Amino acid sequence: MTPFTRRALIFSLFGIAASVSAQYATRDSWIESGAKMLLPEFDTFGNSEGSIGVLNASGDLQTEGHPFFTPLGSNGRACVNCHQPTYGMSLSATSMQDRWKSTDGKDPVFAAFDGSNCPDLPQDQESSHSLLIHRGLFRIPLAWPPKNSDGSAKPVEFTIEVMRDPTGCNTSKQHGLKSANPTISVYRRPRPAANLKYVVAGGRSIIAKTGLLADLDPDSGAPVAMNLMSDAREPSLKAQALSAILGHEQAHEAPSAEQLAKIVEFESQVYSAQAIHIWAGPLMGDSLGKNAPKGLGPVALRDRQLGATSADPVFGFFTGWKEGTHYQASIARGADIFMHRQFWVRDAAHFNSTNRGNPVKGTCASCHGSSMTGQDAAAGWMDVGVSNYPTWTESPTWSETSEVPVFKITCARTADPHPFLGRTIYTTDPGRALITGRCADVGAIVMQQLRGLAARPPYFSNGSANSLREVVDFYDRRFDMKLSGDEKEDLATFLGAL
Amino acid sequence: MRRSLLGLLLIALVLNGVPAWAEYRSFVACPIVRDTKTSPCFLAEYEGELYYLGTQPDTDDGTRLPQLKHEVLVEGSVADGPRVCGGIPLRPVSISVVKEVNLACNTMLPQEPGIEAPPSQHAESLREVSIPSPNGQAGGSFVYGFDDDSLSAASIDTLTELAAYAKRTNASVVKVTGYQASSRLSNGTVMTEKAGLALKRAQNIETLLRGLGLRSITVESKGESEPADGQSDASHRRAVVTVIP
Repeated sequence: MTPFTRRALIFSLFGIAASVSAQYATRDSWIESGAKMLLPEFDTFGNSEGSIGVLNASGDLQTEGHPFFTPLGSNGRACVNCHQPTYGMSLSATSMQDRWKSTDGKDPVFAAFDGSNCPDLPQDQESSHSLLIHRGLFRIPLAWPPKNSDGSAKPVEFTIEVMRDPTGCNTSKQHGLKSANPTISVYRRPRPAANLKYVVAGGRSIIAKTGLLADLDPDSGAPVAMNLMSDAREPSLKAQALSAILGHEQAHEAPSAEQLAKIVEFESQVYSAQAIHIWAGPLMGDSLGKNAPKGLGPVALRDRQLGATSADPVFGFFTGWKEGTHYQASIARGADIFMHRQFWVRDAAHFNSTNRGNPVKGTCASCHGSSMTGQDAAAGWMDVGVSNYPTWTESPTWSETSEVPVFKITCARTADPHPFLGRTIYTTDPGRALITGRCADVGAIVMQQLRGLAARPPYFSNGSANSLREVVDFYDRRFDMKLSGDEKEDLATFLGAL
Repeated sequence: MRRSLLGLLLIALVLNGVPAWAEYRSFVACPIVRDTKTSPCFLAEYEGELYYLGTQPDTDDGTRLPQLKHEVLVEGSVADGPRVCGGIPLRPVSISVVKEVNLACNTMLPQEPGIEAPPSQHAESLREVSIPSPNGQAGGSFVYGFDDDSLSAASIDTLTELAAYAKRTNASVVKVTGYQASSRLSNGTVMTEKAGLALKRAQNIETLLRGLGLRSITVESKGESEPADGQSDASHRRAVVTVIP
């Protein structure tokens, strides 16, 4: 089973000329850790919205012995287990269901440490891995209180209590908040290991929206963009890789400098974006003509010069498709909504709580403004209400049910409160606050890139939206966007084409 | 140095066309958002009158704007001229967002014929000044919101420039002095900032300057610089940075 040993289609240097229908065929394209195969310069993989394209800008890659594809720890995992080309260099929940069935739960991706709801659950039972299998969520254990680099405890502004613990891990004697090594377990989606030149770009010494110093790259000493991971806890790709190998791969010793360098080198040259839309057809290639959008597909991501076209819309112009086919026009209308449909952006911490005021009359692009990826231009953590529960109550009768833990955060009187939820906050993931200890950061999650979405549902850091339509519905409700049914479809179609 | 900075601030006020004897307003109220065809305006009501506090800018220019779900402390002089967005303009105006959440602050007004936002502008804020002098000394005065110790985006830019200047000139000392202040409201109430804020403001700037690569920094805290007078209190909430060659 070496699906990459042949290219699905040969693009004449990425010009999509072959039969579109052939792209939609489902292939078993899971890459095992330790696989010995050729990862082509360009390949496509089917998904519900068409096909995603994965581009290695440095050319074909032999995976044998490459540290991204080789287990470096004790549980058999490699980076690729959670960052699969088929799923936009991430994973989908469906892929986890398939892997559970095809491997009888033996795939290293289900490692007890973080591929199950809690390590002390019976690992042979599917229910012990329910969050990964049904929501694509890995357990992220974080020390509480957070620690400085020298191991000392950071000062914190709030107390944290476990209100609901459906996984049992936060009240576990061995792994929980009151264990010998107090730990908070939150559950998050893996982020795509692609298009990372955009994700790491733009570091400034002082973060404008917080007025605090940005983290520094431990190697270069330069300030970093702080857009990596859900909570920006690691400053660089190298630091993230090291942390992942020691954590997710459970390595007993650090990888070599050469191995880390090869991982970073690979991650810095791989691009992933939807290449074919199931109804609109090819999204890239010369055959589309000069009026086609220029920002779609992974080649555009490779070729875009950072900052050179900052005046352009986030994903370029779609004007040429307004008079195109039915679905091309739908994508173009969705792009228009994304860039231009105004609504009241309100009560979003780290957006409305900065100087710009609450509310702000804005668009999707007001927050998702970074060229080509739609991340935040600044260090990008915000609380838009994905994980915080503004109306949660402690009464089991009246509170919302939750598959993930619920925490109660109580802010000290001496600290600044959460800007829109005050001093008592119920949340399923305190987000950035677990790293900073700041009350104002509770529920703030680093905005993630919007590329290759169709390949990697479910969405949001907690996997709470099963489809792009559910993402659109969330924002429509959250910000009272007043989108019509057709407009929602257009916006979801557009997102699925990115 | 302090006198010269305050002098320049006073000059700045006069240059802005606001005579020192202009009617001054200082009050705490819930902000009101008024929608317009273009950008929304922020207003606040005091003693039955609407005051204009600012308009959402096209880009974040560092001006502090009010937030619904929070009261604001408004301090400013009544300006001559027509109403703006339906409110009496205050120039300059200082807006301080009260940190605690107040769910009652939730008023949004719809668009109204004849009421338009000024194009891409906002109420004028207190100026922050950077003053290179003939002897090479430079400085900046960074003004804060009430009970706040965070710098605006514009202040961060100014501080970054000062740090670059200090590095470029190999400055022997960078001195940071933090102040805190009380504010006398128009109704006679005096609001006092939390204890220790002067030092915290100075220390925060010191941390940022060290992060920007400076090492020789002295920090001092002066507490309240002047008693609340209900006229210029907003300008007393500040930190002053002096770069000495």
